[in-house]
Amino acid sequence: MAAAKGFFTDTSLCIGCKACEVACKQWNQLPADGLHFTGNSYDNTGHLGASTWRHVAFVEQTLSEALGSSDGQSAANGSTFGMRWLMESDVCKHCQRAGCLEACPTGAIVRTEFDSVYVQPDVCNGCGYCVAACPFGVIDRRDDDGRAWKCTLCYDRLSDGLTPACAKHCPTESIQFGDVEELRIRAQRRLEELQARGVRGAQLYGEDARSQPGTGGLNAFFLLLDRPEVYNLPPDPVVPTAKGRESWTFAGLAAAGMFFTAMAGALLARGRSVR
Amino acid sequence: MTTAPIHPIPIPMPAELERATDGREVDPALGLLQGEGAAQRVRTPEPHPGQLAPAQFEGDAKTPTYYGLPVLQEPVWIWTIPVYLFVGGMAGAASALGAASLVAGGPTLERLENRCRALGLGGDVASTVLLVTDLGRPDRFLNMLRVFRPTSPMSMGSWILALSGAANSAGFFFGNRRGPLGAVGRVGIAAGGGLGALLAGYTGVLLANTAVPLWQAARRELPVLFVGSGMASAGAVLELFHDSGASRRVTHWYGTVGKAVALGAMLAMQRSSPRAPRVTESLRTGATGSLWRAGLLLTAAGLLASGLGNKSRARERFAAALTLAGALATRFAVFHAGKRSARDPRATFEGQRAGMGAAELRHPPDPKPAVFKLPVMR
Repeated sequence: MAAAKGFFTDTSLCIGCKACEVACKQWNQLPADGLHFTGNSYDNTGHLGASTWRHVAFVEQTLSEALGSSDGQSAANGSTFGMRWLMESDVCKHCQRAGCLEACPTGAIVRTEFDSVYVQPDVCNGCGYCVAACPFGVIDRRDDDGRAWKCTLCYDRLSDGLTPACAKHCPTESIQFGDVEELRIRAQRRLEELQARGVRGAQLYGEDARSQPGTGGLNAFFLLLDRPEVYNLPPDPVVPTAKGRESWTFAGLAAAGMFFTAMAGALLARGRSVR
Repeated sequence: MTTAPIHPIPIPMPAELERATDGREVDPALGLLQGEGAAQRVRTPEPHPGQLAPAQFEGDAKTPTYYGLPVLQEPVWIWTIPVYLFVGGMAGAASALGAASLVAGGPTLERLENRCRALGLGGDVASTVLLVTDLGRPDRFLNMLRVFRPTSPMSMGSWILALSGAANSAGFFFGNRRGPLGAVGRVGIAAGGGLGALLAGYTGVLLANTAVPLWQAARRELPVLFVGSGMASAGAVLELFHDSGASRRVTHWYGTVGKAVALGAMLAMQRSSPRAPRVTESLRTGATGSLWRAGLLLTAAGLLASGLGNKSRARERFAAALTLAGALATRFAVFHAGKRSARDPRATFEGQRAGMGAAELRHPPDPKPAVFKLPVMR
């Protein structure tokens, strides 16, 4: 297997141009979602979905909202009108412990040689289990097509030695593509740089198994400027399978209980009718 | 910063083309999608009114959300899934009772055993139809048996249902014969009983093993609830036949235990964590809350109506109807309350901030990806 490939999305550099959304749609020839106006800042996309594999979030914060405390005062230093504007390009995280992959009953979802998580469209039968199993709400089933779709980490481009379309088009290098090992070092350096400059609230999200034990670390991780919830990211995601074992234990006990109840009933009935 | 040298794009060899195939197959000469994933459309480009309407800024700086938009995708399953949970649970519980009647019941329970066989097989067939209907690509339903993946309750469930159907078929068609075929039939009945108990129980794991906050939080209660409710349903359906004597006593005992277990599991499930009341809120408020309470009350009423003395046939039938309605309402309530909790970003955020995410795991999951070196059937 080649070295693990992934994204480091540095939201402190994002300018909200949505070039990544457009590049992704163009390269992957994804259908348009229609034109609609949400009124949620500049975000008319809403969320990742079956035909939206990059999504730029826009957050408008007042001083009191930033970081949820008086820290906001310093976080928004240098901003005008006491506001700050956060942007983040969201994408499939290609988790080490991927909920969708572990839930897939057909083997359609596989881990590729680039350590990315990939849905094979010719195998997927649209059972929808991955949709419920993703702790980030990334993968979705398309209505008419009937299959599950999500970011492929541009598997076709990677196979030909190219950079994924979104990272290629990012004008500010907010989306950085490369070997995950190297990206981690780069992210750590960037975080230290921001902290040295006094940016409060800067934090890495999911960079390794230690920081996000529930997913074993993300191959597409982030540098955020506020708590994860602000960007619609779960604060402590967990691969559902990690809790499934407990559920299986209870299912086994309950099934055994059912069998013993049935046996007891049959034995009692026979005993009485013999008497 | 160094600039990467520009490589001429190599002409891919056939083996590399194979590798580069990603299912969508863009024709490089035409730039057109021609592969398996071509011709993708969005059926309704405009969202339903209000779906993406400007959300009220909900909450405060301490507990932010992203415009109140969902963090999770809502499960895409349709009404056939809660109906399957009901039918599959009933069929599994009937198979288990049939097997117990064969093994321990003797000739007095022969009629009950025959009914259980028919219920078990009929339920398995109906379950398969309901599940295939829900698939996005129903023609590919056989892919469910393409791999054996222990981390996926749906994969396990597919195998359980398929094997249960095979075992129950053998039991139904050969169970009363003599000779070797009869032996095969009786082995089928016994195996179908064990598989039936698993069929009723695994559906709880199926829901629990998701990111849906309510289902994940109820991972201990759901399998117990579905097993108990399955027993209650099987007992109620069998009571509609008005058996007498030993069969009636067994059925009544089985159904009563089932109803009591289901009620206990429901009461345990609706207890909310004081630190994260939002996780179970969909069981308390709104239409899903009403449906949940209806399931609870109907099951309790079924237990009371069948438990009181002086059992006339009419009362028995009434109690059975209450029990079946309760079991069905409970399945729909669990299903829709789960969907609602997936739509509520606060159910996810509040639960995880209160330690109901990865924090409550005694051992964090192995960070290495789960790998199964098992043969793939093609």
